[in-house]
Amino acid sequence: MIFVKFKIPLFYKFILTSLIGVIISILMIKPAFTQQPVTLKVLVQALESTQWQPIINSFHQTHPKIRLEVVKAPNNSNLVEDLYTSAYLLGDSPYDLVYMDVVWVQKFAAAGWLEDLTKKVDPQKLTDYIQGDVQGGKYQNKLYRMPFRTDVGMLYYRTDLLEKAGLKPPKTFQDLLTTSQTLQNQNLAQWGYVWQGKQYEGLAAMFTEILQGYGGFWVNPETQAIGLDAPESIEAVNFLRQTIEQSISPPGVTTYAEEETRRLFESGNTVFLRNWPYVYALAANSPIRGKYGIQPMVNLPGKQSGACLGGWGFGISKSSKHQREAWQVIEYFNQPDIQRQYFLETGYVPSRKSLFTDDILVAKYNYLPALLQGAENAVLRPPIPQYAQVSDILQRYLSAALTGSKTPEAAMKEAARETRTLLNINE
Amino acid sequence: MANFNPSNSVSFIPRKKILLTLGIISTVLFCLAPVFWQLLTSFKTNAAISTVPNIYFPSLEQLTFQHYLSLGSQFLRYIFNSAFVSIISTLLCLTLGAPAAYALTRLKLPGENLILVLILIITLFPYILLFMGLLELIKFFHIGNNYLALIIPYTAINLPLTILILRTFFQQLPKDLEDSAKIDGYNTLSMLLNIVLPLTFPALVTTGILTFIFAWNEFIFALTFITREDLYTIPVAVAQLGGASLLEIPYGPMAAATLAGTFPLIILVLIFQRRIVQGITAGAVKG
Amino acid sequence: MNTNSLEKQEKRTGWLLISPALFMIALVFIYPILRAFSLSVFTQNLGTQLQPIFSGLNNYQRILADGRFWQTLWNTTVFTSISIILELILGLFMALILNQSFKGRGLVRTTALIPWALPTAVMGLAWAWIFNDQYGVVNDILQRLNIINSPMTWLGEPSRAMFVLIIADVWKTTPFIAIILLAGLQSVSQDLYEAHAMDGANSIQSFYQITIPLITPQIIIALLFRFAQAFGIFDLVQVMTGGGPAGATETVSVYIYATIRRYLDFGYGAALVVVTFLLLIVAVCIAAFFLSKLRVNMIGDQ
Repeated sequence: MIFVKFKIPLFYKFILTSLIGVIISILMIKPAFTQQPVTLKVLVQALESTQWQPIINSFHQTHPKIRLEVVKAPNNSNLVEDLYTSAYLLGDSPYDLVYMDVVWVQKFAAAGWLEDLTKKVDPQKLTDYIQGDVQGGKYQNKLYRMPFRTDVGMLYYRTDLLEKAGLKPPKTFQDLLTTSQTLQNQNLAQWGYVWQGKQYEGLAAMFTEILQGYGGFWVNPETQAIGLDAPESIEAVNFLRQTIEQSISPPGVTTYAEEETRRLFESGNTVFLRNWPYVYALAANSPIRGKYGIQPMVNLPGKQSGACLGGWGFGISKSSKHQREAWQVIEYFNQPDIQRQYFLETGYVPSRKSLFTDDILVAKYNYLPALLQGAENAVLRPPIPQYAQVSDILQRYLSAALTGSKTPEAAMKEAARETRTLLNINE
Repeated sequence: MANFNPSNSVSFIPRKKILLTLGIISTVLFCLAPVFWQLLTSFKTNAAISTVPNIYFPSLEQLTFQHYLSLGSQFLRYIFNSAFVSIISTLLCLTLGAPAAYALTRLKLPGENLILVLILIITLFPYILLFMGLLELIKFFHIGNNYLALIIPYTAINLPLTILILRTFFQQLPKDLEDSAKIDGYNTLSMLLNIVLPLTFPALVTTGILTFIFAWNEFIFALTFITREDLYTIPVAVAQLGGASLLEIPYGPMAAATLAGTFPLIILVLIFQRRIVQGITAGAVKG
Repeated sequence: MNTNSLEKQEKRTGWLLISPALFMIALVFIYPILRAFSLSVFTQNLGTQLQPIFSGLNNYQRILADGRFWQTLWNTTVFTSISIILELILGLFMALILNQSFKGRGLVRTTALIPWALPTAVMGLAWAWIFNDQYGVVNDILQRLNIINSPMTWLGEPSRAMFVLIIADVWKTTPFIAIILLAGLQSVSQDLYEAHAMDGANSIQSFYQITIPLITPQIIIALLFRFAQAFGIFDLVQVMTGGGPAGATETVSVYIYATIRRYLDFGYGAALVVVTFLLLIVAVCIAAFFLSKLRVNMIGDQ
């Protein structure tokens, strides 16, 4: 008999190596130790956590008994939400502080994960903040989130192109359409208006602005009324469809999120862009440097302009063992000087109204007063615990209407019906 | 070397060669085209990346090593983590899977069919949906932020594939070999180690590579179960890459990190793909 | 007497060999699966303050009326069927090529595995950009070849988005099937081809009568796993379309994931998991039934 004398030792090596690996891993299991000083943990997106470093350093100097440990998360707010959720679902969350997007508040609060902050804050102090931001942090009239920074959806426009055609920035939806078409007909721009039409959260955010401009509403949490099938909503959807049908917006706009629209606008052949303020600073490094302006979104004459409110703020975990220290962190982050320095360096939008008109900030970011105007008209996405599901419903039907698979009336009616069913079930 | 038509007559060779060459070229193009795009992106400057329309042939000043350099030495740590988890789970998978597959093939176990059916059924469960239950298990055993939190799930998820593939190979082995070995006094275990495994080494390498790649690229579990930065695997590290602002998608660094992170995988496959070649060694049964 | 104790020893060895693997699988799979079954008869969501309340078959009734679930089921079925057929054909083609010996075979084999080796999330973004309507490579090429006049929207139109998704998935997973089939091809002995050729068969007949039957086990395994993977697809969809447009590319896993993690509707999510799982089992059983009939036929022919 001849057999191949194969490497028996190799297979034993397999077994040995894997066993060693498993043993090493087991040895690395460390029991949790309590530490002096008090360590507070918070989960923040990687980029912003790096930007916090100066604040954290100065906080450690002024508060030697507290250590703030920032755990880094991916640069994707959905994933951050998932991570917080998993942490909470396991029982005692490792995070003492929660750095929250405004749309998570009601869900986290309803789930019982957040500490009520109402008694900790002087109501007088809250008046300096943008009202929408404060409202967005409340659930059942209790405050669960201290606003830190805001985001508002705005309309960008090409100053040079408007000048060439002798036109003024638009005030109404009709203005927007006609100005776009004029400029396109004169071959000054390929596209008139570019917005986020992909099926994702940004679509809902963008839509609330148009909805507000038409005098409609999405969900009224107090009266439990759904405004999606009202005539105003359908008109709002029709407006968006019009931009596609009349080639004012590229047909691919139904696949665009913030980045695609920004790149399109920055490449120079679009007149109007709806996006968040972050574009302002980035566009200064692009071909359209110095040739654009920012203003609140357009609306119907007589109706209010809509700016969707985004933004982040602090909450405290109910299960945190260091509530007092956590509140100290929040107070520290909310000091006007600290905030001014932070916004100066990062270019984020403040939540304190006084900072919008602060000389130092305005000197560097001259669009802040325009943003304040938008922020004061800020429209909140429905502050209800089931927001995530409600948003998904709107996204799907709106996307159906925008891509032509359903008529706007049919889509909105079904969206309203499904939303009503959902909210009744969970009552 | 398997040819379709071993009896080569001269008139056949050119046609076969042409077809083969066409096949090779189309395979390579099919596989590499999108990868070239990533490669290009990883070397373009940020300005060149955001230029529209696309730049297919960047000039020298539109190229940069910056994206690769920005990965930093931290990245080596992430590669180590990915490598550790992947290697251990692959080895563990093969160590557990090969004997199991052999037992299911040659040894008549009671309930054998039931076990096979169960394994098949478990395969059908989308692994993503395991995360809630696994999260609780990991909390219970305190293995959060530990390599085991990834090694064990990865091994278990790939065991069905390993067992089933190895089983088909074991089934195709001629029984005479093992029968004569039995007569020679080999017991089951040494038969497995000395005879069966060497002959089915291609299958071992194949499932090993597939398991390794799965472990290397898996994201959701790695994201949820490991929150300590020094334990990150590569997909988690790539997800944390940011541009100048939070909404910006950093195409350049992401392409660089992806290619740098996949490079070890490619080297590994290059080394091991030769082992897939080993067929049934000649002369093994002629006794 | 002798054979009895031998048999007993064989059984013992067998259990010894198989238990570690079974234990590992059970450890990871049993608890979550059982938990899903048990949770499905409870209602646990924000409305119940995340406390589980027994609700019997309520969740299942809700599933019957849940249009979104059935749509995702349909989407996933369409996606899976088209994907695996394409992947099988291309994978077989690739495996046959890689099985030949030629210069640089090692490199080509490694190249062939690259799509499978690249992380899905990043490649998903790359594909989305390739199919971008304004600046995507595909539209660029199509326009240059004068096949279309103006840019087409790919991911913005329901059926085209599904098409793009399938392409991205086929690209990524063809190597998976190819490598499994390749390993199978490697085990086919040369002598068989020689003998067949001496009987006067040409290469196509050899292919159908020798190659295919001998690698049938590998084909079945590859199909089974691809079926399970394709049905459970998650990463690629999340990154490329998020389920859009109009929910046309939303797959079952995406819906269930959202239900559990974003809506915090655990009981209902568990019920969805159970229903999907059972449907998959039924599908495989039906396929197995037809397969066994086919096998009987094949053996009959031979």
